[in-house]
Amino acid sequence: MNIPAEVERNWGDLPNIFDQGVETLPQLLIYQAKRFGDRTFHRKKDFGIWQQFSFSEVLENVKTLAMGLSALGVRRGETVAMIGENEPELFWGEYAVQGIGGKAVCLYPDFTAPQMAYLLNHSDSVAIICEDQEQVDKVLELGEKVPKIGTIIYWDDKGMWKYKHPKLMTFKQVQERGRKHLQENPDKFEKEVAAGKGDDIAVISYTSGTTGLPKGCLGTHKSFFDAALRIAGAMPLKPFTQHMSYISPAWATEQMLGLTMGLVIPLVVNFPEEPETVRENIREIGTEALTFTPRQWESLASIVESKMLDAGPIRRWFFRWGMAVGRKVNLAQLEGKNVPLGWRLLYPLADKLVLYPLRDNLGLQAVYYAQSGGSGMAPDVFRFFHAMGVKLRNVFGTTEMGLFTFHQGETYDLETVGKWMPVHPRFGPPLEYKISDEGELLVKGGSGFTGYYKESEATAKKLVDGYYATGDAVYMTDKNEMVYLDRLEDMRKLSTGHSYPPQFIENRLRFSPFIKEVMTLGDPEKPFVSAMINIDIGTVGPWAEERRIGYTTFTDLSQNPKVRELIQGEIEKVNYFLPEGSKVMRFINLPKELDPDEDELTRSRKLRRSFLEQKYAGFISAIYSGKEKFEAEVPVKYQDGRTGVLKTLVYVNNL
Amino acid sequence: MKKREAMEEDKYLMRAVDIHLSFAGVMALQNVSIHVGQSEILAIIGPNGAGKTCLLNCLSGFYHPQKGEVFFRDQEITQLKPHKRAKLGIARTFQGVQLFPGLTVIDNLLTGRHMHMKTGAIQGFLYRPWTHREEMRERRKVEEIIDLLEIKHIRHRLVGSLSYGLRKRIDLGRALAMEPKVLLMDEPMAGMNLEEKEDIARFVIDIREAMDIPVVIVEHDMQVVMDIADRIYVLNWGHLIAEGNPEEIKGNPEVIKAYLGEERKI
Repeated sequence: MNIPAEVERNWGDLPNIFDQGVETLPQLLIYQAKRFGDRTFHRKKDFGIWQQFSFSEVLENVKTLAMGLSALGVRRGETVAMIGENEPELFWGEYAVQGIGGKAVCLYPDFTAPQMAYLLNHSDSVAIICEDQEQVDKVLELGEKVPKIGTIIYWDDKGMWKYKHPKLMTFKQVQERGRKHLQENPDKFEKEVAAGKGDDIAVISYTSGTTGLPKGCLGTHKSFFDAALRIAGAMPLKPFTQHMSYISPAWATEQMLGLTMGLVIPLVVNFPEEPETVRENIREIGTEALTFTPRQWESLASIVESKMLDAGPIRRWFFRWGMAVGRKVNLAQLEGKNVPLGWRLLYPLADKLVLYPLRDNLGLQAVYYAQSGGSGMAPDVFRFFHAMGVKLRNVFGTTEMGLFTFHQGETYDLETVGKWMPVHPRFGPPLEYKISDEGELLVKGGSGFTGYYKESEATAKKLVDGYYATGDAVYMTDKNEMVYLDRLEDMRKLSTGHSYPPQFIENRLRFSPFIKEVMTLGDPEKPFVSAMINIDIGTVGPWAEERRIGYTTFTDLSQNPKVRELIQGEIEKVNYFLPEGSKVMRFINLPKELDPDEDELTRSRKLRRSFLEQKYAGFISAIYSGKEKFEAEVPVKYQDGRTGVLKTLVYVNNL
Repeated sequence: MKKREAMEEDKYLMRAVDIHLSFAGVMALQNVSIHVGQSEILAIIGPNGAGKTCLLNCLSGFYHPQKGEVFFRDQEITQLKPHKRAKLGIARTFQGVQLFPGLTVIDNLLTGRHMHMKTGAIQGFLYRPWTHREEMRERRKVEEIIDLLEIKHIRHRLVGSLSYGLRKRIDLGRALAMEPKVLLMDEPMAGMNLEEKEDIARFVIDIREAMDIPVVIVEHDMQVVMDIADRIYVLNWGHLIAEGNPEEIKGNPEVIKAYLGEERKI
């Protein structure tokens, strides 16, 4: 096994931690608290001021909470659920549960009560730690539908003053219980933590369920350390880097970053005040490490684009000019090309006038580890941030097997998802892959795949000759960089026999500031590719107003001839990059917005394709029967649970 | 009846007894008596021009009735000026928004703290340690209100740039910044969409629970009021025509008549 010198250098003496007998996250917390005691570990803005928690304070909070849970009867091997926005208490809760040998499961805060019920029951959770009234209300509403939940703990008491329920306790009350428990058993916490093993299950991460019911993927302490060292080997990270914890720990990525890397590197983990204030907060703390989902980077880019549409002509000109210089210089450097002297001389000026203020405004000035987690983001979005001077990198992997590839080094191809990451020998053999005849990526190595909780059949299905079958269609370039095409089941053949990558097309279309969501159509019964578009009313609305185009509702705006023309122009731009046969030939602007509450999108805002195909069957048949317009009926669900039908005239547009 | 009222008197935080108010011969209020309990959500409803706002203005001191008395605890305050009533702990919000559009949300809320501040302009200029401490303390209070009303994301924005619904919320925040003993709200839901109305309804309930003060709401919109009020007074043409809990009011024929007009027999 040859590990490149650069990777060894990136790791430095990090792996030594694991020579000190550290096997689990709580063991590492105790270890780091001894080393860094008073240094800031967690930070959270409260009442307008950033409040700091040192390693010792975090440990103290974790310890008392863990002992409180123990006193309440939570035993080794049991599961405790957590639901809320990213806040210190959520992280402490998780370390505490793991400290007494339990499994943690995090739920997305915008889950509905029935979605919660499924996960709570499936994971056998015995207690739940909630953020606030909103989450507690959902759990109380479920009542006997979640019979195993013995205790409901919450940390934000706003609106909770008059709640009385035998299962309800505040975070502080549980910690108080823990303190009493500690007086009787002073060294119990240390003993419980010491009993933890690297192969213990630390977290159950539920996969977002684009196909069928969510599956609970088991993550061991070892697998999280493995993931942390894969990143640390691929990219050097400074200790006490300012990390902004924004993506939910319900997604395995934040488990690897904020919760694991936070302890290993260690990072200063900062929590936004509210989801609405995150952009402001990123700027305030001078964030250095930032991970967003592709959608979030896309939306940041389109915020800039649409703000520039509002700006005056002089500013707009400067912005275009500065970005053009940035593009020339930064992208050439990224591709390893020489930059012509003229552009190099212009760059400091462009940086001073445009790029620096832009980065500063977005709070990205100090960010050196900018990352998009996932499989597909339009290269245009990457280029946008690179032009600005932010080295945005992609990380690709699965919940089951950890991280696979990463944009490493100073030159990489933005059309790819990066090169394979190194695995530290302590945590397993290097990653090996092969590509099946259908084009599917198969991977083995690292700490491996532990399995799905209570689904041994589904687990077995995922393993082929010792390889984990990812279900992703990829191909490798001659430079050993991976190109992600699509999910295997989502690569589509047309009736002409031509295969096209729907997600590829969709990601590029989504970069248009006027398009919020898009679903491409085309399968073995259909001769060409078409698209259903969800326009972005936030940008199309002002665009229409500026041109004095009157409209009443979303429905009305979406079917306006000028708007349909606008979207047509956007699709033509993308068609230019597509080979004959994969081009989008017809499209429809949807008369309503796609909504996760109607199960049209998952919580991570991915399309639920088969559901959409059923729901919009009438639209699809109109496209392929060559109709120019038709009377559509769409069932809608209102916020309060009532249902209705939206009836309207919908136009089919040709390209 | 009289005896029971006398016994319960000390339970009431505010009382208006036998109010008569007229403008150049137009009788706006006639013979109206109401009381406000220690911690209740009290609604005053009625059709347009019934005299709801006039009654609220009598309570807050913007109008002085020609006849009748207003009490706060045991103190008679009928002729007291609004700013003096504010000092007693009577806060109100306005039907239209009355904020400083050129100041930020925080500064607008800090104006509500003005009467709790001891240092003046000169001390503010010199900025001695005690001025600093006071500023810290007042800012903290304001931050608590920002937290309660969920307006963290706009705390540094100019009020003039905010939507109507948010400005109403700031208006409410400024009234709360006074740390009032009673909160009077004049049509807090006028001109709002359903979601904004529900938000305000939730804040009213939160305020009552968090601060343990009564909230008096003058409102035109029956729907929301019926959901949150503990007790309701109904006014029509300057007369009090009904009093009771939402259930009683819903079934009251007088109220139905006032709102829907008289049922015609054919």
